[in-house]
Amino acid sequence: MERTIIRILRIMGLIIFIAIVSFPFYWMIVSSFKSLSEILLKPANLGLDIRKIDFHAYYEVLFEHGFLRYISNSVYVSIVTVVLSVTLATVGGYAVTRLRFRGQKIMSYSILLIYMFPAIVLVIPLYVMFSRVGLRDSINLLILVYLAQTLPVALYMLRSYFQTLPPEMEQAGLIDGCSRLGVIWRIVIPLSAPALASVALYTFMIAWNEFLFAFMFLDTPEKFTLSRGVVQLAGSVHLSKQLVMAASVMVTIPILILFLFFERRLVQGLTAGAMKG
Amino acid sequence: MNMASLTLKAITKRFGKVMALSCVDLHVDDGEFCVLLGPSGCGKSTLLNIIAGLILQDEGIVMLDGKSVDRLSPRERDVAMVFQSYALYPHMTVAQNLGFGLRMRGVPKPTIQERVLESTHLLGIEDLLDRKPRELSGGQRQRVAMGRALVRRPRLFLLDEPLSNLDARLRASVRLELKQLHRKIQSTIVYVTHDQVEAMTLGDKVVVMRNGKVHQIDQPETIYARPANTFVARFIGSPEMNLCQGRLLQKDGRSHFQGAGFSLDLGGLKPNVGEDEVEVGIRPEDIVIGQSATALRGKVEMISNIGSEKYLHVDLGDVSLTVRAPKEAIFQPGQIILLTIDPDRLHIFHEGLRI
Repeated sequence: MERTIIRILRIMGLIIFIAIVSFPFYWMIVSSFKSLSEILLKPANLGLDIRKIDFHAYYEVLFEHGFLRYISNSVYVSIVTVVLSVTLATVGGYAVTRLRFRGQKIMSYSILLIYMFPAIVLVIPLYVMFSRVGLRDSINLLILVYLAQTLPVALYMLRSYFQTLPPEMEQAGLIDGCSRLGVIWRIVIPLSAPALASVALYTFMIAWNEFLFAFMFLDTPEKFTLSRGVVQLAGSVHLSKQLVMAASVMVTIPILILFLFFERRLVQGLTAGAMKG
Repeated sequence: MNMASLTLKAITKRFGKVMALSCVDLHVDDGEFCVLLGPSGCGKSTLLNIIAGLILQDEGIVMLDGKSVDRLSPRERDVAMVFQSYALYPHMTVAQNLGFGLRMRGVPKPTIQERVLESTHLLGIEDLLDRKPRELSGGQRQRVAMGRALVRRPRLFLLDEPLSNLDARLRASVRLELKQLHRKIQSTIVYVTHDQVEAMTLGDKVVVMRNGKVHQIDQPETIYARPANTFVARFIGSPEMNLCQGRLLQKDGRSHFQGAGFSLDLGGLKPNVGEDEVEVGIRPEDIVIGQSATALRGKVEMISNIGSEKYLHVDLGDVSLTVRAPKEAIFQPGQIILLTIDPDRLHIFHEGLRI
């Protein structure tokens, strides 16, 4: 009896939770498919008439408000950040786990130190600094900032994962004739695929969604990233809700798809069977 | 095969303040099976890693065929190692695992294939080639790990407790196979174990180690018959050797041992330490049960029957001795028996060292 009640309560709780989380999503998607007149006539209408689905908002956002450009900017920034961050974190994470060098302990523990400073504290001095040097308003600068922002966590995640890899396997690799880099490339990286995938996903999400630095550092509309573009759109004179919604969908969907695609790989462990057992 | 001799000179290694190895000297001949034996934490695995080049020694020289390899990386030393945990590459099939070392050394593909087949044939694992390590049993993984070393045809094999993760029955059979394999390929092997049975049955030469020091290097027979000190005496042999504290006395030109509760005429033995504290040791199988002129009286405390023979724990007053008895013999706890000890079978230690 008591169990059934708990079970029912749990299911109800889940339903309520899901409803709270998904409602804004739902509204966003539904609104993006409506025409302006429909939104203005029936603002509280939550339903969507399938026959009246209107892709016009997407067309307008993509081709008239420059979102094609913003998307390619965001893709470029995110992918470069992911590649650099994963590469550097792999090499760095490996170094602090396996190699012994002076200052290794301090290095290893101070990785997360940067997270003691909220972004808003950093953004103003960085703004001033980059303005002086004349680096502001550049996409590559944004990559640099995102790298600094994601690298600590990426390093931390990979370090934790590398620590779980049995060192004997790498020793076997060294004896079998690999160099250090060979061991990383042929043994550590294939075995760390799940960890690398989560780091890549994490980095991509940060770079794709980041707004504060993009807002502060980018001035020229041609250089805007997606999130910056959405704000630009939302703040423009003719406020058309469906356009903002369509733009928001474009920001959200790629991340959602990526997450669903990668999620399955994240959980797969690869080391099973290497050691005694 | 192109095997090498191995020479270690005064190898010393510290981990922080802990002395992991101090001044280890060792020579292993071409084709010799050398076993490093010792309790866990004695430094034997560290020594193996130093030979492989995975750890660098603080002092001392590692030589292969008389040439120092201290400046060479593990790859250049051309040794193969079998790890206790096997350390197979989980993302590769058995065939890829076996061929990896050759591939890394740029051996042409047909040769790799040929050698992989040859070694799988030798180990009887031909039908596992396409499997991943996680699909193998413990025994099969162990064979693959052996195969990975064999394929390479290295100058030296290093084996780090390769049998310790197998169950007891499998361990005995793999041990025999290992011995046959060694006879077949005549390889130089350094084998680490804490199991004295493995050491005694496999080794041409056994190195007994403790706390980073070598206590004795000899053939297994010699180690058993003439242990160099009390540690080796206790460590080798099961059940362990009886060791009794006592004093050496001279009476009428003959040496006597006066222990707690009993004394022994040492007969013709003339230890050159004068009258001093000593320990005498006698193996359980060297004590004869029965009447004689010098027999000692003792009371049977406990009997351990292991099937092939029995061990009696006999109380001699203040000391207790373990005595081997044939399996047919019948004894009762509490029974008084007579024990005869042949002085020639005694091991006498002065300040821990054999005299």
